[in-house]
Amino acid sequence: MDSICHYRNSEPAASGDGPLRGLRVALQPNFSVAGWPAEAGSKALAQFTALEDATIVRRLRRAGAVLWGSTRMSEFGFGLRGSQAGGALLERAADVELVLDLMGESRAAASRAGVCGFKPSYGLVSRCGLVDLIPSMECCGLLSRSLAQIREILKVVAGPDEGDFSLPDEKAPDFSSQAIDPSRIRIGVLREAREALSAGAQASLQASVDELARAGFSMVEVSLPEHGLFPVVHRIAGSVEASSCAGRYDSVRYGARAPGGKNWNGMYIRTRGAAFGALLKSYLIQGAFFQFDRYGAFEDACRIRARLVAGMERLAAEADFLLLPAVDGAAPEAPATLAETYAQFAPTLFANVTGQPALFLPARPGAPGAGFQLAGPRRSDPRLIALGEHVLKGRKGGGQ
Amino acid sequence: MEFEAVIGLEIHVELNGTTKMFCDCPNRPGDEPNANTCPICLWFPGAMPRFSQEALEKAVLLCLGLGAEIQPRSVFDQKVYYYPDLPKGYQLSQAHLPLSRGGGIEITDGSGQRKKLRIHHIHMEEDVAKLMHEMEGRTPISLIDFNRAGSPLVEIVTEPDFRAPEEAMEFLKALRTQVRYVGSSECSMENGTMRVDANISVRPQGTSQMNTKVEVKNMNSIRHVGDAIAYEIRRQCAAVQAGEAVVLHTRLWDPDQKATVPMRAKFEGPCVPDPAVPVIELSREWIEAMRARLPEMPSVRADRFVREHGLTAEEAAFLNADPEVAGYFESVVREGIAPRTAMHWVTTQLMPALRERQLELGGSPIAPARFAVLLRMLSRDEINANAAREVLAHMFDSAESPEVIVGARGFQQVSDPGALDSLISQVCEAHPAAVADVRAGQGKAMGFLIGQVMQASGGKANPKKIRELLAQKFGAKA
Repeated sequence: MDSICHYRNSEPAASGDGPLRGLRVALQPNFSVAGWPAEAGSKALAQFTALEDATIVRRLRRAGAVLWGSTRMSEFGFGLRGSQAGGALLERAADVELVLDLMGESRAAASRAGVCGFKPSYGLVSRCGLVDLIPSMECCGLLSRSLAQIREILKVVAGPDEGDFSLPDEKAPDFSSQAIDPSRIRIGVLREAREALSAGAQASLQASVDELARAGFSMVEVSLPEHGLFPVVHRIAGSVEASSCAGRYDSVRYGARAPGGKNWNGMYIRTRGAAFGALLKSYLIQGAFFQFDRYGAFEDACRIRARLVAGMERLAAEADFLLLPAVDGAAPEAPATLAETYAQFAPTLFANVTGQPALFLPARPGAPGAGFQLAGPRRSDPRLIALGEHVLKGRKGGGQ
Repeated sequence: MEFEAVIGLEIHVELNGTTKMFCDCPNRPGDEPNANTCPICLWFPGAMPRFSQEALEKAVLLCLGLGAEIQPRSVFDQKVYYYPDLPKGYQLSQAHLPLSRGGGIEITDGSGQRKKLRIHHIHMEEDVAKLMHEMEGRTPISLIDFNRAGSPLVEIVTEPDFRAPEEAMEFLKALRTQVRYVGSSECSMENGTMRVDANISVRPQGTSQMNTKVEVKNMNSIRHVGDAIAYEIRRQCAAVQAGEAVVLHTRLWDPDQKATVPMRAKFEGPCVPDPAVPVIELSREWIEAMRARLPEMPSVRADRFVREHGLTAEEAAFLNADPEVAGYFESVVREGIAPRTAMHWVTTQLMPALRERQLELGGSPIAPARFAVLLRMLSRDEINANAAREVLAHMFDSAESPEVIVGARGFQQVSDPGALDSLISQVCEAHPAAVADVRAGQGKAMGFLIGQVMQASGGKANPKKIRELLAQKFGAKA
């Protein structure tokens, strides 16, 4: 268990008598829990202890959930290197895991663990109390074997928060269970996403298409010619935001000191240099390069991002939901460089760029590949989860 | 070759909101160090800024008071730079879409012409922490006080319309008056609630080129701003004449040396949008509602004083330099006192008396209604001007009404012809030569006799009445 656990709650008593009573929740140390270490996987925050509960943690507690502890995570949640996300589910130590999703980490971790993974719409769940890295892209992902549990959690945590002014004022949508009529739903397969896959991954995706078609959904092919720009936009805009945001994680304030600096400036530079890991450091340096030397490219990335958002919204006229691959088998398992990391998350990061909800479903037993993603328009979260529940139910009923 | 200076100002004004800009901590930088802090203004991981409505309103009132146009949409960015007073590495500031654009202030320039100095834009930003360097111990240490971190600021960026140090000083004085009027800030350079940076370049007279500018900081009074600009103009003119290039950099004003000294290369960090801070969208209705809250601005009020109260433009401008004085004057006039009497007595008697006692108008015991009672007694000839000045002095020490003071201390004016006649007779007997001069029609001698009667009455006689009686006695014109 120590290989998974970063911090184990010594008093995991069920606090309330709410709708989540007794539900065991594991999270990562970038979600603030008052009194728990919140280093977010980085030496830059070594010895930092959260002072207050994140809004999402407060709402979970109030609803009766039990906070089991935190799992080991990658540095600031960027990629899955060093992450044990999904491990607490595999060990049956927790029912649900909260995993920050910056480029698809929650969905990729779900795929690794063979459970469901959901990234909500951007702006649906408060980010107050989350140690952030790419604020415009990241959001709290949820891992569970049961989509009903994910729905129950969203009922409790979604919606406006006076601690997070960036959330829209609109009420959270209704997360009650709802019926799905496959004959009235068109599911689009994004041609460019499919074509970008290796042959083996294409075959797995086709198995998923077949499964949904057999379940009675109308499957249509849709196209977004600019699809290939998603990783570029994520990498430029994301690295710039990260570089600016990570200014807060100056290490020094939390106790770290690297020796040898001639003055305060030298001390800061050396300490920061020693604090960040190689992968994150290269990301921050890349962001700084765009900030200081190629600001125009950053502005271009922001413009293209708006175009990609509009492009995905237009697809909603042709298909109610999208079916997409979740992993590309050809990508490296344990990426060590930025390029490899981006290759690993190429199928998932679109949803972080556009802010739309995306759901990972594990593959049908016996089917090739780990599973697939379903995505819907922004704030279609309850229907997207209902769609997932319908698909999973179809499998239990043996109706293949 | 003749040179002219091109000057623009960047003015930081600390708003006097009760809380900081992005959290509920009290906006009192002067408290015990680090007393007014929370995870948000300490910029701890996980904390998110919560924009203060009060800061927005104070900033909008300030912009409207300077004639600026509020933008329907403005956005905060992360302005990236690193210094120990900003340990999070970026400052929330509006770099691309500011709160307002345009506006300006009219001043009188060196040749007596009215001149409008334009404002380019005004944006909001948060203040940074304050560094304190303790050099005394064995190891010098630097301490950081976060009380000021996150305090609400606006930055007023002018067009490069200024040509002389005096114009900058006039502008700053007028700006201070306007901002105090709307109540958004005290604008004190001495206390750091107004901080001014000047951008200065020089060019041959009559040309329109914009040459490399130098930024000058660290002036802590309006006087120093004028001195620093004047010095920098001389320094640059000399450099250009000696064939040296002016390099873009920042200089600090050293008030002891009365010179600017180089500080660093000017650094402009990049700005990244911050999705944690919502976009500020203001409706036309909301902006108009704020405009309705705007008090009458000094220039408008001064015009009205000329029109309604018959003051001269200079008198009106003088009263309006301080909103409190102008308001006090109007309160006195509302009590039925003639405007000229009110203006004269407020500016020449009351204000000097307050200064002498180191009192502020607001906190003084001389409320407008009480002062009006005194002036009413004066205009009804119940007391004379000498007595009124003395009664005023007593009014600072006692809470009694002017009437009671006059009664108790015998300040009443003596206008009774019987009582005055006997005094006049005494004086005339004592000064036969002056009486002869008056009979010969010499006005000066008349003044002398009036003075003597006044003296004999212990200053209580009504001088108008004495003149009348003397004129009757000698058949002269009063």
